[in-house]
Amino acid sequence: MHLRICTIVTAWMVLALYGSLLVALGWFLKPETIQHFLTSERTLFSIRLSLLAATLAAGSAVVLAMPAAYALSRYRFAGRQVIETILEMPLVVSPAALGAMLLIFFNHPVGEWIQTHWFQLVFTFAGVVLAQFLTVLGIAVRLIKTAFDNVPAELETVARSLGASPSYAWFTITLPLAWRGILAAFILSWAKALGEFGATIMIAGTMAMRTETLPIAIFLRLATADLEGTAALIVVLVGLGLSALYLARQVAGKSLHA
Amino acid sequence: MLEIDSLRVVAGTFQLGDVTIHIRPGGCHVVLGPSGSGKSTLLQAVLGALPLIHGSIRLDGVDLTQLPLERRQLGYLPQQLALFPHLSVRENLLYSARARGLSAAQYEPLLARLISATRIESMLERRPATLSGGEQQRVGLVRALMGRPRLLLLDEPFSALNESLRRELWWLLRAIQKEEQFAILMVTHDLAEAYVLADELTVLAHGQVIQQGSKTEVYARPASPDVARLFGVETLYPGRILEIRDGLATVAVGSAQLLAPVPDRISTKILVSIRGEDVMLQPGPCPATSARNNLSGWITAIRPGTPLSVIELDVGFPLTALITRSACEELGLQCGTRVTALIKASAVHLIPLT
Repeated sequence: MHLRICTIVTAWMVLALYGSLLVALGWFLKPETIQHFLTSERTLFSIRLSLLAATLAAGSAVVLAMPAAYALSRYRFAGRQVIETILEMPLVVSPAALGAMLLIFFNHPVGEWIQTHWFQLVFTFAGVVLAQFLTVLGIAVRLIKTAFDNVPAELETVARSLGASPSYAWFTITLPLAWRGILAAFILSWAKALGEFGATIMIAGTMAMRTETLPIAIFLRLATADLEGTAALIVVLVGLGLSALYLARQVAGKSLHA
Repeated sequence: MLEIDSLRVVAGTFQLGDVTIHIRPGGCHVVLGPSGSGKSTLLQAVLGALPLIHGSIRLDGVDLTQLPLERRQLGYLPQQLALFPHLSVRENLLYSARARGLSAAQYEPLLARLISATRIESMLERRPATLSGGEQQRVGLVRALMGRPRLLLLDEPFSALNESLRRELWWLLRAIQKEEQFAILMVTHDLAEAYVLADELTVLAHGQVIQQGSKTEVYARPASPDVARLFGVETLYPGRILEIRDGLATVAVGSAQLLAPVPDRISTKILVSIRGEDVMLQPGPCPATSARNNLSGWITAIRPGTPLSVIELDVGFPLTALITRSACEELGLQCGTRVTALIKASAVHLIPLT
């Protein structure tokens, strides 16, 4: 009984800790202030930019992660362990360092050639997407690999014994059984990309109405001691992030066979 | 006709040694062995999920090793059945036809025949998770047969079922096989299953074939102590051949002597193998009978069972007899009762040890 009470109290304390941070925002929020900030062109630009960049980054990450995660889940091949370790780099290296690495890469002859002949990435919207993409790719691969791991390989073997080609078996058996996990991976990657700051500011800078994502907008408002504006933007960011997490929980939590 | 010749497969650190198996159309070959003996590795190699190191696999003259898994025209029913959980039973059954792009006219007659034979009409719109174990087995079997396989690979598919359901499915499988005339290669560690279904048996241990032959031959004349133990021979006791005369060997076993057919390979050190059901008991001294081995002794233990009770004897060596419970009661057998154990010479099998 004591264990039950102690653990539940601890769980509530965790909630209280984060809850108090959210409640504190209310001190600086007035309805008319929120309305003013949320309808301003600059804020709307930041929201649109963040949503678009996060969607492109998470979408690209999932598209690339699916084949990579499938290979890591199903095959034993040279370099597998190295790839798995590298994919975890965004989890252990700070986003700022990752962004700095990107910036250094684009000052390298290969990076400069890419910028000259393909497209400009530093201080552009494309740079924002690239920074977010690199930050969430590892997470996407890891989550999607788990989704594929949960589909028994024997189902594919049986499908092939029934005459299905590897791709037919993948599209008719593996993908339908893993899609909830893949969708949850997209949502979580999207939420992570939405809140990405360190790598974005390194590669895309803090250019108002150009590379000003929501986290960068928060940073800029705070830098000018605009606490009301900062609080309003935080509410928007937290609202979007928590909604995404709730959605991911709903998607991933449902039974595969329901 | 399936012809597996000198097959060698490596799976991780495990190596499956030279395996040669031939199965005629309509035949059933069972590979028997304990866990880790290489049974499933063999099946995976034939299926095409594991590459061969050496050897060949030919089905009706076609070299299967040159074909990808989906073009080998095999039916495969794994232990976990692997029914597709997101598809209905009907969609599971039609998976093969759809993967091969067959029209309804091409698959409907076979589908109707198999559905009728397995009595699964009422469950076609259900999901596999809602079916009982026996129903899932029948669906798995029909799905595996929908591709008109020339060879059906079975990986202990009935092991999770209770005895009566398993028996029902054994007969169902043999009935369908008789009609469709496909060959079966099945792996199991279940003796009863192997004995009921097999025409021929291969016994594997530690990745090596330790005996092959017809089921009656392997059952009656295990070639090694491992096979005898696997086949549940009740009495295995070391002995020594004293002399050979008129095709019969006189063997010293403990303080007793037995007459037995001469083994294929002569060795002085042998293991005497006697099945419990081949031992008859007579209380007290025994009148003259045709049984060549009449051993006097007494009962050391009785383990009542249904329908057979296990009677442990001391006849100069430990001997186990299996007799019906009613016979045990009628003869008034108890611990300490003096009895004569009667064993025909042909029921004593000698396994050379060196």
